[in-house]
Amino acid sequence: MPPAEPVAAVPSPTDAALIAAWQGGDEQAAAELVRRHARALARFLAGAGAPEADLDDVVQETFIRAFRAVATFRGQCRFRTWLLTIGGNVLKDAHRRAKRSRVVPLGDDLRSTDGDPHERAVAAEAEGRLGEGLQQLPRLQREVFLLRAQQGLEYEEIAAALGTTPGAARVHYHHAVRRLKDCLK
Amino acid sequence: MKDDATFHDARLQELAQRLGTRAAERLDVERTAQAVVARLREQARAPARPSVWSQPAWLKIAAALVVVAGAGVVARGVWPARPGAAAPVETVDLSDMSAPQLRELLRSVEQPGAPEPVSSQDVGLEDLSPAQLRALLASLETET
Repeated sequence: MPPAEPVAAVPSPTDAALIAAWQGGDEQAAAELVRRHARALARFLAGAGAPEADLDDVVQETFIRAFRAVATFRGQCRFRTWLLTIGGNVLKDAHRRAKRSRVVPLGDDLRSTDGDPHERAVAAEAEGRLGEGLQQLPRLQREVFLLRAQQGLEYEEIAAALGTTPGAARVHYHHAVRRLKDCLK
Repeated sequence: MKDDATFHDARLQELAQRLGTRAAERLDVERTAQAVVARLREQARAPARPSVWSQPAWLKIAAALVVVAGAGVVARGVWPARPGAAAPVETVDLSDMSAPQLRELLRSVEQPGAPEPVSSQDVGLEDLSPAQLRALLASLETET
């Protein structure tokens, strides 16, 4: 009896394949894209100032907008990077609406109830100051900083996603770092 | 990234990478995925129907017509009508009139107080509007 052939691992479909499947009507392809990128998107949005209570809504809205406009995605950058920039737009709109309705969200450290309150407060302090510093930055500097420092993207990728040049992205990043260092001093 | 001097600020890097992590971990990804799919399905069932006027091509055409009409109004104001120019003749398309309207028109022509019928010697037939032609025909019938 001949030895059984080793079972080749089935490679997971690429984002491009999932996008094409979704465009062909495959709902599960859309669900898989959400599973694949939702957490990174949530991190980016939370870092950019989305209140945790609204995070799920903002993540959902970002995916809805992305799937609606997916025909305009030309692969100039990775799907995730494109998604993050859409998330930035959704968050901007949410902030505008929140300003109109004058809702003041509670901070993470005040809302959270798990863990030791003192440890939580100490751990949240530096993060909170960074978050505050990020809110004071112009939007482009904030997004470039998060895409670079939080998501680990290269300047070329950031530039393609934000419609700017790698050199300009680098300048935005350096300005952001300088101002954030001042906030953390 | 190693050539990036500012990125070696370990504290800032660490904080940036930690930023939003706890909030993201609390996100129920599966529930979010199902909610997104449900919303997409709902939207697919009730597709939005954009009105004709919300389409860019129609907006461009409408804008062009407004510009042309506006330019025409301005031109008429700047260049007054030439003294010898004939006033535009208002014509009536008989095909647009209903049967009662046509009967009313014929009656008005046949009434004694109606305006003087147009004589065939006064003008060329090609100058007459359909209503005038109708009136002329009626007057010829009464003469015979």
